[in-house]
Amino acid sequence: MKTNDMIIQFTAKIVFFIIFFFAIHIFLAGHYTPGGGFVGGLLASSAIVLLVLAFDIKTVRTVIPVNYTTLIGIGLLLALATAAFPMFKGDPFFTHYFDYFTLPLIGKTSLHTAMLFDTGVFLVVVGVTMTIIQTIGEDE
Amino acid sequence: MAFQILLNFTLAFIWMFLSSNFTASGFLIGFLLGMLAIIMMRRFFKQRIYLVRVWALIKLTLLFIKELIMANVQVLKLALSPKLNMQPAFFALPIELKEEWEITLLSSLITLTPGTIVVHISDDAKTLYIHAIDIDDVDEAIDDIKNSFEKAIMEVTKS
Repeated sequence: MKTNDMIIQFTAKIVFFIIFFFAIHIFLAGHYTPGGGFVGGLLASSAIVLLVLAFDIKTVRTVIPVNYTTLIGIGLLLALATAAFPMFKGDPFFTHYFDYFTLPLIGKTSLHTAMLFDTGVFLVVVGVTMTIIQTIGEDE
Repeated sequence: MAFQILLNFTLAFIWMFLSSNFTASGFLIGFLLGMLAIIMMRRFFKQRIYLVRVWALIKLTLLFIKELIMANVQVLKLALSPKLNMQPAFFALPIELKEEWEITLLSSLITLTPGTIVVHISDDAKTLYIHAIDIDDVDEAIDDIKNSFEKAIMEVTKS
């Protein structure tokens, strides 16, 4: 018995963009306002989970062809590299640097290496959540 | 439709370059002038001018707000009436809309106006199954939806 899921599929296609944008916004807002890598990662993976609910796992795997276990590895490597980089410069482990740059379109911004560490956290959270959900969901 | 909007944006940018006025107000002036030019040249486009569709969309929104208020008053009357003499019913509504987003929009509008809820779409997407809280005449309800919402949506999508 296969029912016609037109409404939820079309709505999921639209709402995916909103959730994904909100995830990026929360991830970037983490330094001065509530948010950060963990919440942003959970929101991004929840957008993918919405697609999995509306369609099915096989379709979503063809749409977003990402191997989530390698994503965990990339995130951990990024976090470790950010932490280990100051040791080459003679500073203690986990020293963070920041400076003010003038970027095109945005203007004067302060860039901080904690952002790179947060990106690692983001990727690990997305990878772990999606790996758990895929391995549970594929048990047939 | 999409081509005309894109053309209007392009004309707005051309106006900005001509007047060397790269601000929001310059863009707005260019957009309005481009609208005027497109209205002047309307005979040369294959499709209807896009402003007609924008107007149909505004009319659909107003219709939805009106129906929402009216139907809420009806459901309030039902909820506050001392005797429960309502007639719930399921009925099938044949639809002529083809596109996915049109059907989703129509279903959302029917569900958001109280008293009626879309519960199922048939597999060939030609029939909606609707549950109504209080209905006297099924054919009257079908005609009502067809003449208000479906006609308004068709007005928006007509090329």
